[in-house]
Amino acid sequence: MLNRIFGLETEYGLLIHEDRPDHSPAWVAHKLRDHLFQVQRRGVIDLHHRGHDEPPGNGGFLTNGGRIYLDMGHLEYASPECHSLADIVASDRAGDLLIQQTIEDLGFADHVSLIKNNIDHETDATFGSHENYLVSRRFPFSRRGLAPLVTFLITRQIFTGAGRVGAAGPQDAWIQMDRLIVPRTAVGVRGDSTLPFQISQRSDYIVNDFFEWVQHNRAIVNTRDEPLADPNEYRRIHLLLGDSNMAEYATALKLGTTGLVLQLIEEGYAPQELEIDEPVEALQEISQDQERNWVIRLRSQRTMSAIDIQEQFLDCAVRHCQGQDEETDWVLAQWASVLRDLRGDYEKLVGRVDWASKLWLLECFREAEGVDWNDPLLKSLDLEYHNLNRAKGLYYGLVEEGRVPRLTTDALIRIAMDEAPKNTRAHGRSTLVKHLLGGGTPTHPDQQGNPDGLFPAYVINWSIFQVRGRAPFPMPDPFKTYLADVRTHLEPIIV
Amino acid sequence: MTYSLIPERREGPTDPMPKSPSPLDEGGGPRRPETGSPDKDSLLKRMRRVDPKQAERYRQRTGE
Repeated sequence: MLNRIFGLETEYGLLIHEDRPDHSPAWVAHKLRDHLFQVQRRGVIDLHHRGHDEPPGNGGFLTNGGRIYLDMGHLEYASPECHSLADIVASDRAGDLLIQQTIEDLGFADHVSLIKNNIDHETDATFGSHENYLVSRRFPFSRRGLAPLVTFLITRQIFTGAGRVGAAGPQDAWIQMDRLIVPRTAVGVRGDSTLPFQISQRSDYIVNDFFEWVQHNRAIVNTRDEPLADPNEYRRIHLLLGDSNMAEYATALKLGTTGLVLQLIEEGYAPQELEIDEPVEALQEISQDQERNWVIRLRSQRTMSAIDIQEQFLDCAVRHCQGQDEETDWVLAQWASVLRDLRGDYEKLVGRVDWASKLWLLECFREAEGVDWNDPLLKSLDLEYHNLNRAKGLYYGLVEEGRVPRLTTDALIRIAMDEAPKNTRAHGRSTLVKHLLGGGTPTHPDQQGNPDGLFPAYVINWSIFQVRGRAPFPMPDPFKTYLADVRTHLEPIIV
Repeated sequence: MTYSLIPERREGPTDPMPKSPSPLDEGGGPRRPETGSPDKDSLLKRMRRVDPKQAERYRQRTGE
């Protein structure tokens, strides 16, 4: 899409089916990472400290320009920088397949399931699907400038939500009691465990409108200023309120509509007068509304439905963005289609919208088996929707039955496991990683081979790399591939 | 997919979403699921194979 770089970061869950104390999710995550880098040689492991929580060996960059690493005990995949929805969908699915295939290679498939969701029903733990959008440094990153984005993000969950059984009271959320800030659980504030179903996994865990942290005090808009690019030119909008989507269609629509709304804000065309009165409460009210009317109160005290609000954003986007490129037109057409269908029976959205697919499956099961909403089995089915094992996962059951529109192909996903998009700096990074893998450079932190004992054989970060004996190579513009310069830079080193 | 034959820079034309067979190509939304169809039966079979206790086994840490 026009002037946009997209990225997705996914934290995966690991479900261990057997009672084996030595096989914790964290233990399996370590095994998978080591197999990916040391046996499959899908990338080069970090040899340097990437910050306080990423020691050498914690993860590394892949041949596709993306990254796999451990984060808070979760295996996490960060896609390469993508300049189109087609590429980000394929690259995101490539991460799924890289890890699922590793599980199968290790012979773990019978007792380990890779789960692409965001919640643990039993402990209320949550883990993220983070979206990244590169915008101009001139983007109006102020409370006033971001107000339309907040309204859009709160209401987009009606088509981006992955759905869940029940509700959560986040254990790591903080609330103000008198003059003290205390954990919610310390004062017994819990979610409504009797809630049958809600449309979003993450909405229960968002407790602020703007904030810079990612773990505690999660916000609708994360305000950390870390562009991973030239800070004079770019800002990275980092969002952590969204759900991991199984449907390719939902992934593309989520990123595409959000990208267009950012463009409307950048160009001064975003709809005004739609500021929501209590954004955090509205986020949870929409997600938990059992009637799916999704009516919220605006700051003007007017009430309005999420569908009507989304249609105002769509109208603005049609007026100002239509015709700028084919992907934009695809997004506008599908945005209109989904909003139209949301006014009718949710079953029309099965295959395109994850919460609708999941709810339909659960209702089919409840009807066939006579199961009540409070049966814990439904939580297990909820999890199984996100199982990335194609022979088992419920989403893949819908795919097998031809109910899911595909936006990419399995062949393209396989390519994206090893190849970076050819029009972003991920291409240059991919070239670097492949050269390092092919050149006999150590790819294990214990074999650094640094004769001076000081500088590792290579240091790679998103916007810069350095190979020992060479000057640092900055890559501040994510829209450039740097391909020729990277090749020239590496040439004398290549064996 | 733009893994080949794509422009170096953003000024170039962007590529469309790849076309693949889908109900969307037939116009409108995806076909309404037909309850009671054989399709539904195969999905129910898949659901009946799920370990009913697996949500209890799924012990994850809070991430980010």
